[in-house]
Amino acid sequence: MKTTFITFLAAMAASMPAFAEEAAAASAPEDRSVLDAEVQSLRREVVDLNRDLFMLEEDLLFPASTQVAVFVSMDVGTFFAVDSVQLKVDDKEVANYLYTEREQEALKRGGVQRLWLGNLKAGEHEVTAFFVGQGPHERDYKRGTTLQVEKGVGAKYVELRISDKASKLQPEFVVKVWE
Amino acid sequence: MLGRFLILAALAPLAAAVPVVEQEAIPGLPAVKVQDLHYGDVLFHFYQHDHFGSLVRLAAYRDQGRLAVHARDAELLRGGLYLSLGQHREAREVFERLLADASTPPEVRDRAWFYLGKVLYAAGLFEESDRALRQVGATLGEDMEAERHLLIAQGLLYRERYDQAIAELSNWQGPRYWLAYGQFNLGVALVRAGEPARGLALLDAVGQLETQWPELMALRDKANLAIGYAKLQAAEPAAARIALERVRLSGPQSSKALLGAGWADAAAQQYQVALAPWQELQGRNLLDAAVQESYLAVPYAYAELGAMAQAVEYYERAISAYDAERSRIGESIGAIRSGTLLAAAMEAGGDGREGWFAQLATLPDSPESRYLYHLLAGNEFQEGLKNYRALDAMAENLAAWQQSIGAFADMVETRQQAFEQKLPAADARLATVDVTTINGRRDALQAEFEAAAAARDVTALATGQERSQIDTLDAVDAELARHAGDPAYDEAREKARLARGVLMWNLDGAWKMRSWQANRALRDLNATVYDARTRETASGRAREGAPERNAALGHRVEAVDPRIVALAVRVDEAKAAQGRRLADIAVRELEDQRRRLDEYSVQARYALATIYDRAAAAPPAPAREPTP
Repeated sequence: MKTTFITFLAAMAASMPAFAEEAAAASAPEDRSVLDAEVQSLRREVVDLNRDLFMLEEDLLFPASTQVAVFVSMDVGTFFAVDSVQLKVDDKEVANYLYTEREQEALKRGGVQRLWLGNLKAGEHEVTAFFVGQGPHERDYKRGTTLQVEKGVGAKYVELRISDKASKLQPEFVVKVWE
Repeated sequence: MLGRFLILAALAPLAAAVPVVEQEAIPGLPAVKVQDLHYGDVLFHFYQHDHFGSLVRLAAYRDQGRLAVHARDAELLRGGLYLSLGQHREAREVFERLLADASTPPEVRDRAWFYLGKVLYAAGLFEESDRALRQVGATLGEDMEAERHLLIAQGLLYRERYDQAIAELSNWQGPRYWLAYGQFNLGVALVRAGEPARGLALLDAVGQLETQWPELMALRDKANLAIGYAKLQAAEPAAARIALERVRLSGPQSSKALLGAGWADAAAQQYQVALAPWQELQGRNLLDAAVQESYLAVPYAYAELGAMAQAVEYYERAISAYDAERSRIGESIGAIRSGTLLAAAMEAGGDGREGWFAQLATLPDSPESRYLYHLLAGNEFQEGLKNYRALDAMAENLAAWQQSIGAFADMVETRQQAFEQKLPAADARLATVDVTTINGRRDALQAEFEAAAAARDVTALATGQERSQIDTLDAVDAELARHAGDPAYDEAREKARLARGVLMWNLDGAWKMRSWQANRALRDLNATVYDARTRETASGRAREGAPERNAALGHRVEAVDPRIVALAVRVDEAKAAQGRRLADIAVRELEDQRRRLDEYSVQARYALATIYDRAAAAPPAPAREPTP
């Protein structure tokens, strides 16, 4: 009896090194920590590089003087589950987007999708969006919304917001223009 | 004999259990109503677990000044993203900066302390982590608060301060999910503090949890396995069997549980019953230590039952199985050295976030992939593979940018050429349009209309035809004036008066509509003139700054190109080094396995020799054959 219990305690002690190894890198051999540090440093530098390239690409392809971005957002989303959205600018289709389940979830949680980033000349433009999805009682639902956008000299942001109109138990599609 | 075989007891999972919910990235991110579209875009990627993409956007939008409203939320998220990517130094810097800022509101401050505590915990700095976690105020949500509490307790366990861990966990009440981990860890702390009875009672409660959460089912299995082996060591085989039977047959602990159940039966002299779980194990992967041991346990049971023929047969089968496995391990070590293991690991990995183990089942049985499942179960290999995957993703990212950057350079050059070519024509066209004169004419028209409206001069809005009729009537009146007093012109004078009266009547009737139309036409004209002036301004600005802007873009493209090349070289080198490290870990692990198989093989040969010796020394006796 005594012998077996001692074995059990030894067994518990034996599980300790693995336990400590999980938590701390302090016990790692030197070459390992050097390599880990290099991976960390590389990741930081790659993030910084991507940030610079992201901004460079935008400045190059979509300068602020002509830039227009269209975003899609959703608040609550009880009465509408978006499947796809089609975007037309001046009657020309510029985006046709099919949502994955993960993207739908991200929208519901408060994420805002940058649906389209493009260039438009100064002046008036017509932005039209068609939303397709499931409306109340899981019925297929398609709704369109149109907005006249006045493009000036600075970048223009348009938000297409799907919100719930509780009084009518219906989704509501609101367009908001941000400067 | 029992003690000799209980090598596996060392594998009983009596380490603190760490909840896995945090894989949902950064729990407790404060709920915010998005007021910056670009912050929403960052969240859109973050909620899809695209941590790299959201971090890049966050950094870019921050530098572009697009996150003004959510500056602090964004910083908190940035720190959390660095934490989730394993960038502990950067995460720590972000949280410490937030905490150093006196204007940081309490709820952001509490989260910053919490995440800082997590960073320090992950780095193994338990004292500092403990201090940070205890700075947190009362604004955390229920789940984060529970996690904070458990982290403090786990830190104490790591530092072997069992009494403090017990005090921390004893009267703690948290959400059910976290409470189960709290009870498990309290049980572990009590056993380690020398109170096995109380500790095992708590583990027993966890072992009987009714739950649908896979993580809690796994925790329940761990608790039952720990109790089972503890009871086995305490010579309480019946109690051991009860706990071991609660372990799921399909879970990762099932092999150890089956082996233990067999030993519990054997301890109760129920060798026939013990054969059932042990033989079940023989159909499983021989790399599992429990399976390896079962190859010795089965003939041991037969020998105890006096069925020496079966005992011999199974010992020989064990020796042959061990030899075959050793040979396969040798092949795999060769494959690992040649680098094929990593290709298989990458193929199995999917997107690197989830489903590794599920996908491993679909891999073909080849020397390079055979032991992946086993290797991936090890923390060191898994962490190393994460780094390798990260480096692979970085290499792909850099290669894609290397291609794009060439196109960027071409684009800048083409744009400059196009500008130089189009400039003369554009200037010529602009020269033909004098927006200032047009604007002056518009102003004159406006003044004319306003004067007519003030005097209600209905003729001012006459049509061309009406204007011509007015002119005709004026000429007629002038002619009639020359014959004033002549009665022969009286009828003509009357007709002219009547005609002018009708014309003025019609003009007066049309005035309201025409003045409205004129007003609208002037408004449209205003808009057109405004557009023309806007375009003229925009065009002027574009022309003025274009060469400088193109040159600045060209310099940025030139500057970034060598950065990409230099990083790509370093990433390739690090990837190769990481690959060698993974191969070393894998080979070391497989060589350990081979050594263990050698030991088992020696034990099997020794047992076989003993049986042969006894058979040679003893007179023949009738065997007790087991029931099939």
